[in-house]
Amino acid sequence: MSESTFARCPAAWTLWRAPLIWCGLLLALAFGMAALEPLFRAVEPGSRQVIYPHAEFLTLLGRHLLVVGVAALLAVVIGVGAAVLVTRPAGRDFLPLLAQAASMGQTFPPVAVLALAVPVLGFGTWPIIVALLLYGLLPIVRNTLAGLQGIDPSVLEAARGMGMGGVPQLLQVELPLAAPVILAGIRTSVTINIATAALGATVGASNLGAPIISGIVNGNTAYVLQGAALIGLLALTVDSAFERCQRLLGRHGR
Amino acid sequence: MRREAPLPNRVLTALMLAAAVAWLALPSVSVAPNRIVPGTPFHAYEIVGWAGALAGCLPWLAMVALAWRPTPTRYRVALGLAVLLLAALPAWLAGAAALMIDPTTPQARLGVGAAVWLLLFLLGLVLIELRGRLALPRLAVWLLLAPVALVWWLASSHGLESLALVQEYRGRSDQFTAAVIQHLRLVAGAVGASLVLGAGLALAMRRHAGLERVGFGVLNFLQTIPSLALFGLLLAPLAWLAANVAWLNAMGVRGIGWAPAFLALLGYSLLPMVRNTFVALEGVSPQVLESARGMGMSRTQVFLQVRLPLALPVMIEGVRITTVQAIGLTAVAALIGAGGLGTFIFQGLGQAAMDLVLLGALPILAMALVADGLLGALARRLDPRQLPSAGQEATS
Repeated sequence: MSESTFARCPAAWTLWRAPLIWCGLLLALAFGMAALEPLFRAVEPGSRQVIYPHAEFLTLLGRHLLVVGVAALLAVVIGVGAAVLVTRPAGRDFLPLLAQAASMGQTFPPVAVLALAVPVLGFGTWPIIVALLLYGLLPIVRNTLAGLQGIDPSVLEAARGMGMGGVPQLLQVELPLAAPVILAGIRTSVTINIATAALGATVGASNLGAPIISGIVNGNTAYVLQGAALIGLLALTVDSAFERCQRLLGRHGR
Repeated sequence: MRREAPLPNRVLTALMLAAAVAWLALPSVSVAPNRIVPGTPFHAYEIVGWAGALAGCLPWLAMVALAWRPTPTRYRVALGLAVLLLAALPAWLAGAAALMIDPTTPQARLGVGAAVWLLLFLLGLVLIELRGRLALPRLAVWLLLAPVALVWWLASSHGLESLALVQEYRGRSDQFTAAVIQHLRLVAGAVGASLVLGAGLALAMRRHAGLERVGFGVLNFLQTIPSLALFGLLLAPLAWLAANVAWLNAMGVRGIGWAPAFLALLGYSLLPMVRNTFVALEGVSPQVLESARGMGMSRTQVFLQVRLPLALPVMIEGVRITTVQAIGLTAVAALIGAGGLGTFIFQGLGQAAMDLVLLGALPILAMALVADGLLGALARRLDPRQLPSAGQEATS
């Protein structure tokens, strides 16, 4: 389907070229890692096993995406929700606290947050999701607040003059106007989370970080390269897709 | 009069009610007979009985009462109370240790429970809220927190010897000092090198538009690659270089160790540094430069006496972002054998020894907060727009 759409609409192809190329490379590598065995054999001539054996790369990729995706989804719902609540008249008392806490919290290194979450929450997939969620909230809250507060007051005045207010004003005026800034926050959040999720391999998560950790522990550079290449491509795919979305939003905004 | 009666402060009320609930419902401490066995959690009422636990609710409720009809005086009293409570928590932990730990078992260790962590967090939020309400300068909060830190530090050697975190530290105090120094050295090296390289790159970018596009493209690309992956990707080429280039090997360059860590840190540090330096130098208003030139200043004078001082706060802001980021990334570098505080984090995670994880993570957190506070203060101090006297002189 996509091929024909792009044939008819060259603009879409130009726009989405970079993310699609990264995504194609990512999938090709995840599917065809075994085909590169001679290359890894050259990198790591001394080892018997040169392709990470404990799980399929596609499974690892899927788990990585699942953890980051669930955390990001929850972070968007909670983060945007909290920022919207404190910018309503009913919640305005909490605005300074939330704004300060969100900007101070971003000083905390993500590794430290992950490390501190484990003693409290335990090992496994859920603690990692919670840690990613907690850290991922901060840029989203901060940017949503910035976006909502950055709206020209005369625009809000006009919306109220048209008889809007409350929920319609929020959905039809405030959120669309703040959307580019909110999206930038989500992009930051997801980028950090892809990197932090990889560190989750040190606390027993089986994702794309696992080959790297296993390679470092066993002194097998080939494993490290396999994990690192896949994580790098995943980060580039997601980041460039976000960049295109931001560009699209910016175009509609104008 | 009725009109002037202030509304209750809902933020303080909510925070302190949550604190009272946490105090009663969550375990305050956990006690383990030795390092290997997981601890048994104890609630406040299991330690001092229900009467004691309910009496422990009083300070939180007193804060709620103060927030009911808030005035500046009551906010100040609440601030004092919050600081006192922060300093009272180690005393509570020491008391719990005395009550719950049999003195004949020197191996026994006390873990900090969820209630105490949550109370610390909530009190931190209270300080943020009160600081805003009272419009206190940042310095005042730091001065208030200094005695609290002193109390915690004193408690660690008087009464809290059985705290698991303290015991982990006692067991490896030399390693700890070495790790802190190694951590700071990597951060300082990466930030220092990126400051010099970044400034040079930013200056070159101002001359050549092509370099600007390519440079930012490459740096953005680097920043997107997750740290663990970048460390991993540097491992292979550096190992090859170390094996094939004698003088690099003699310098201590290896696939594992400080070399890949330093290179990756430098790569990550360059983007914020170059971006801020570039934006800062470009952001100086053309009118200011014009008038400086009109006063007969030479190009060098304009750059050194006008452009650079005006750009400095934004550049320092770049140093702040870079430093905070590097402190966190250096922790990850421990995975590839670069040393530093991350070693404790990953060792602790490997051994499921959570207090060892804390021994690594808490200093990293403290370092990040202190670096953020100090460099932020420096940037504000250097910002000419922040100086009211200068502003008034300019207008009058």
